[in-house]
Amino acid sequence: MEGFDPLFFAEVTLAGLGSGALLALTGLAFVLIYKATRVVNLAIGEMLMVGAYLFFAFAAGLGLPAWGAIPLALAGGGLLGAAIERAIIRPMLGESPIAIFMVTIGLGSVLVGLVEIVWSPNPTQLPDFIGAAPVFLGEAYVSRKIAVGFAVACLVIAGFLLAFRTWRGGVALRATAADQAAAYSCGIDVPAVFCAAWALAGVAAAAAGILVGAVGGISPTMGVFGLSALVVVIVGGLDSVAGALVGGLVVGLLEAWSGTFLGGEYKIVATFSLLLAVLVVRPYGLFGTAEIERL
Amino acid sequence: MTMTPTTTRGQALTRRQTLAAGIAGAGLLAGLSPVRAQANEIVIGGSIPLTGVFAFAGVGINDGIADYVKIVNEAGGIQGRKVRYIPEDTGYKVDQSVAVFNKITGSNPVSFYYSDSTGFAKTINPELNRKNSMIMAGASFASELNNPKAYPNQFVAGPDYSEMIGVLLEYIAKTQPGARLALVNSDTEFGRDPVAATEAMAAKLKLPIAVKIVTPPTSVDVSTEVLKLRRANPDFTLFHGYILAPLPEFMSQAKQLGLKTKFMGTFWSMDNSIWARVGEPADGFMGVMPYRYYYDEAPDAPMLQKIRAMRPEYQSTAYMQGFLTAMLFCESAKRALAAGQELTAPNLKAALNTLKDFDTGGIIGVPITLSGNTIPVGRVYRYDAAAKRMIGEGDWIRLGKDAG
Repeated sequence: MEGFDPLFFAEVTLAGLGSGALLALTGLAFVLIYKATRVVNLAIGEMLMVGAYLFFAFAAGLGLPAWGAIPLALAGGGLLGAAIERAIIRPMLGESPIAIFMVTIGLGSVLVGLVEIVWSPNPTQLPDFIGAAPVFLGEAYVSRKIAVGFAVACLVIAGFLLAFRTWRGGVALRATAADQAAAYSCGIDVPAVFCAAWALAGVAAAAAGILVGAVGGISPTMGVFGLSALVVVIVGGLDSVAGALVGGLVVGLLEAWSGTFLGGEYKIVATFSLLLAVLVVRPYGLFGTAEIERL
Repeated sequence: MTMTPTTTRGQALTRRQTLAAGIAGAGLLAGLSPVRAQANEIVIGGSIPLTGVFAFAGVGINDGIADYVKIVNEAGGIQGRKVRYIPEDTGYKVDQSVAVFNKITGSNPVSFYYSDSTGFAKTINPELNRKNSMIMAGASFASELNNPKAYPNQFVAGPDYSEMIGVLLEYIAKTQPGARLALVNSDTEFGRDPVAATEAMAAKLKLPIAVKIVTPPTSVDVSTEVLKLRRANPDFTLFHGYILAPLPEFMSQAKQLGLKTKFMGTFWSMDNSIWARVGEPADGFMGVMPYRYYYDEAPDAPMLQKIRAMRPEYQSTAYMQGFLTAMLFCESAKRALAAGQELTAPNLKAALNTLKDFDTGGIIGVPITLSGNTIPVGRVYRYDAAAKRMIGEGDWIRLGKDAG
């Protein structure tokens, strides 16, 4: 057996943190919706996929530079989120959580079908907007895309954490999450908060989609990445933004270490073992609110 | 006298209600009347993945089969009998594929069937053997199917996955004896298929395996896997179990780290249009192809000329696979009918196994022999980003014949 190589371990750890940040960003989209509306949105992976395709359409189809295509794709993701809330989720208000949960599964299939019709089912690559020159932290190598993904995910999540504490809309969202009836009686426009939560989640999902697509390419089936994020938010806590970040980084590190030192076939085993352990010890997740219900 | 339709309560129906009822009735009738083959027609049924994760291939497969059937019918059919192709979408789901199989074979005298996956090929095998009336090939190149005893009524229209790796290893052993290998496989049935056979063949050809890497099916980032690759520093890295992702990211990160390893893949990773969209990072990617590419203008490939005349735009490798599969179906029917035999599974399979140095019209670059369940032939191609094309490297390799 080869001896322990600290540099190799550091590189694997950095790679794990980087891919964990992508999971965290996707988890954030999940958390935003659950926190405000108590809807478990299983179509988050497909919303992520649509965001990546919107970027593809603006950057490759219309030939826009990245600084133009990224905001447009994010805005498109936000619009998609708001439209889904207004047209599909709001009429379901008052229905059982399982019914809404099933609607989001169907929504995922619809989004995949639409993307297949518009862009074909063929896998493809996003135009390169991050560059290929490797990043070295000291002597440790980090893939440039992963380093950028890590920085963006951390900034976005920090931004959301700050907004929830200081921004009026963020406080309204927290108030709605705490008690919808009380928030309503205080004059908070609860339906508008719901719509804003879906729109913000759409933006976060689109951002994650662009980063995930830049690393792994895009295809109508790339939404399966959202399932990995589901593990992250269950570990971190379904209604905790900070939990999404910590959960993402923990799962990313665990996958990197288990994949490297045990073998790639152990990645999923390790991740779901963690999930089971967390569910047994803290059923509401590491940072989740204790009373939340589980499906 | 004109009659006005009425409801049960005796009220006259409005024009809109009548129209709606008419449309509903027509839809019901259409739903109850699936396409049925005429008597005397030779029927090819198909569980085709026109949607779902394999749709990128299913569309091409469908076109390839339909085009070959069209060519045969325009030339008068097989001994005067027309060929009818009856496909239906499966979404690449085994249960749906089985339902489609039951529907198509339940209402048509099917002699040939195209299967969409390894899972379906294995699931339906007992039923296929029980019916004993049709033979089947499809999108699966699983090594397990290359067993005429266990799968007497199936075949693979090309080499199985182990044989594909065999072609790559033969090429490596010839061009760089003693080269060190890395195996990168997805953690799926598809990805794991050739691993054991690869290890045995590599040992026989004295090609040491420096590292084996397995990636989970949902993985996006491959940074940790590339770090393992850098440690092992192989001469060749063999991918299997993927279509495109995560190959480009593997290659681009390996280039960032200055690795000199050459990357290789198997059939489903070899479509030209997919790599053309990757662009520069795809340059130098190699892999095994059982069929020639659409644009190949070799003088001994009249069938490719015919395809280009029918479809002026590029057709995928999946199209070629569907086209050749239909050709083998029809050739088997032709041989069985010429021998005065009924179109039963044993007769059709025996007729297929009489193929010896058969000319595919240039779809495959050498004459083929189908003595068992596969055609163990392939050629290594390399992607040239400047030319935006896969270019042939060396000759066609026939396993068993050209070995050593």
